[in-house]
Amino acid sequence: MTEVVTKQELDEAFAMFYGMAASLKDLASPPVEVADEERVAAAKRVFLKGIDANFATQLDACVHCGACAQACQFYLGTDDPKYTPVHKLDLMKRVYDREISPLSWLKKFIVKDITADDLRAQQELVYDSCTMCGRCNLVCPAGINIADMVALNRSALAAARLMPDELRFMQEGQEADGTIFGADEDLFRFRMDALQEKLGFEIPIDKPKADVLLVTTGLDIHLFQDATGGTIETLHHMGVDYTLRSDAYEGANFGLLSGHEGTKKKMAAKLANAAIEVGAKVVIVPECGHAFPALRWGAAEALGKPVEFDVMTVSEYFGKAVMDGRLKLEKDKEPRVVALHDPCKVGRWGGVFEEPRAILKAIGWELHETESNRAYNFCCGGGAGNFLIERANPLKRAGYRVKMAEIEKTEAKTLVVSCGSCRMNFEVGKVNAGDTIPVESLAAIIAAHLPKKEGAKA
Amino acid sequence: MTLLDFARGPALQGAAFIFVVGMVWRALGLLLLHRNTPLSRNRDNHLARHGFRTVLSRFIPAPVFERRVSFQYVAGWIWHLGFFVVLLFFKIHVMFFQGLLGFGWPTLPNGVVVAVAGITLGVLLWLLGRRIVNPVLRYISTFNDYSSLVVTMLPFITGFLAFAHYGFAYETMLALHILSISLLLVWFPFSKLIHVITLLPSRYILGVKFWRRGVQA
Repeated sequence: MTEVVTKQELDEAFAMFYGMAASLKDLASPPVEVADEERVAAAKRVFLKGIDANFATQLDACVHCGACAQACQFYLGTDDPKYTPVHKLDLMKRVYDREISPLSWLKKFIVKDITADDLRAQQELVYDSCTMCGRCNLVCPAGINIADMVALNRSALAAARLMPDELRFMQEGQEADGTIFGADEDLFRFRMDALQEKLGFEIPIDKPKADVLLVTTGLDIHLFQDATGGTIETLHHMGVDYTLRSDAYEGANFGLLSGHEGTKKKMAAKLANAAIEVGAKVVIVPECGHAFPALRWGAAEALGKPVEFDVMTVSEYFGKAVMDGRLKLEKDKEPRVVALHDPCKVGRWGGVFEEPRAILKAIGWELHETESNRAYNFCCGGGAGNFLIERANPLKRAGYRVKMAEIEKTEAKTLVVSCGSCRMNFEVGKVNAGDTIPVESLAAIIAAHLPKKEGAKA
Repeated sequence: MTLLDFARGPALQGAAFIFVVGMVWRALGLLLLHRNTPLSRNRDNHLARHGFRTVLSRFIPAPVFERRVSFQYVAGWIWHLGFFVVLLFFKIHVMFFQGLLGFGWPTLPNGVVVAVAGITLGVLLWLLGRRIVNPVLRYISTFNDYSSLVVTMLPFITGFLAFAHYGFAYETMLALHILSISLLLVWFPFSKLIHVITLLPSRYILGVKFWRRGVQA
């Protein structure tokens, strides 16, 4: 692999980036004043549109057994019953009961209507203490899709203009610029030029037609250049006909994370239209957990019609190539003992499990699985944009400890991740907890094990 | 009209009517709501098969959760099974159903049924105690949870007293037993007991949701 960024450069960039991320709250514009009645009305509109027959059936299936608490790392990490996942649905259940349930004629007199204060109190439950990881969905004896209903809660709060300041700042920024963390086109081109220089080959940008559209993200442009560099180097090695687009390079979607439906669809539509324009068969989203669902499950919804192209995350695309023999990787002489983190949005919510494992196997690394793995994996503790919410720091640390306890049990020497925000959260968690386990990008690991071409320099 | 006549007659018939109409009303209410259908391509097909797989697989917890939730799964199993055994295989109950339906079926010895009923009531009492003592359950529990548990226990308590000829005269105890069953029937459509019609479909919905993304839930 070509070293596109040194460890020291990465550490320095991380420190700078973390400083920037930590000040988001102060950068946010003052929240718009909205009358309480308007907030409640807006939230209700979202709830009533979102509660369909499936959600209603699931809301009516809960027997309050409390099992969901036993799957949630925010409950497990704090022992605070208010973080019991299904409790987070009480507010929408009240709306459902009063407005559209078959017993609404009766419940109207029994169940209290929601208030703006209820919505404000809900913020902590559906943003700070929930990353919509969906692990609770897997323990629930009634199979209730709690996580997706928490997402609906986020949308309701976003409509009521009650997003946390940090996520509002990110959503508003992306709505205006199309990108995040100020990673505008100039910076994108600057970074690609720098990568091109280090990699020693031309990185295709704005090719009119290509089989593959590669997307990156502001997080990687600023910070995780090894992930982007690794992806580009591997695509080049494989001889893939790919391109990046200077008008559609941002894979992150803070509409999705904040619950802002308009921004969510706008960003997904932008990438989808770019993919259609270049005639891409596949869009590769970067090592960014939520970029995958935003496009894989969101592109067709944003355009209002099915799409022809496939969406794959980096680990999936290269993992499949390894599995069907299109990508050969060199084995390490001395295998490293590693643990693998399955990002929730890619694994449990995306079905990508075996591909990253195939890559680790191909390079001869010894994978020690955490007790909870694949669909049952614990979240990093800061997913769904939570790693940016300052007031959620104690909760993030609690969630991180639960996750890291499982990793420590594996006795792995390195943690492999394929999601930038998970990686960010692990790095911050490590600093806070004094942990030292290296956290490495799967994309960078792949590039480090590309066979050297004949005649190439060592 | 004696209390027993009232219990056997208008009370039970009225309760049965409310039960049937209420359950149908709730089921129809759910079915007639709008459905948000996804447009994105499924990762895997055979959705129905995997939906049903989740319906079945959720009867036991996944291995990774066993340590933390097995006991409540087992407790749930025991009392639900106990409820049906007592309801359907107690000699006097079968005689009642025979009178209603015109046919009967084999029964279990009274001693077995009494033991099963005792275990079932014991588990229900333990679940009630747990709901009061356990911090998570206490926090999330509402009137609906406590009342549904008590209303489910009442037929067992009155049934025991009637069977043991304890308390009031037998006829009065039997009337109270039938009234407690009437209350249970009325309670179904208005409480979380509605889960008898929503729980398995809910599992199916989740199974389909995850399987279309290539994940066995």
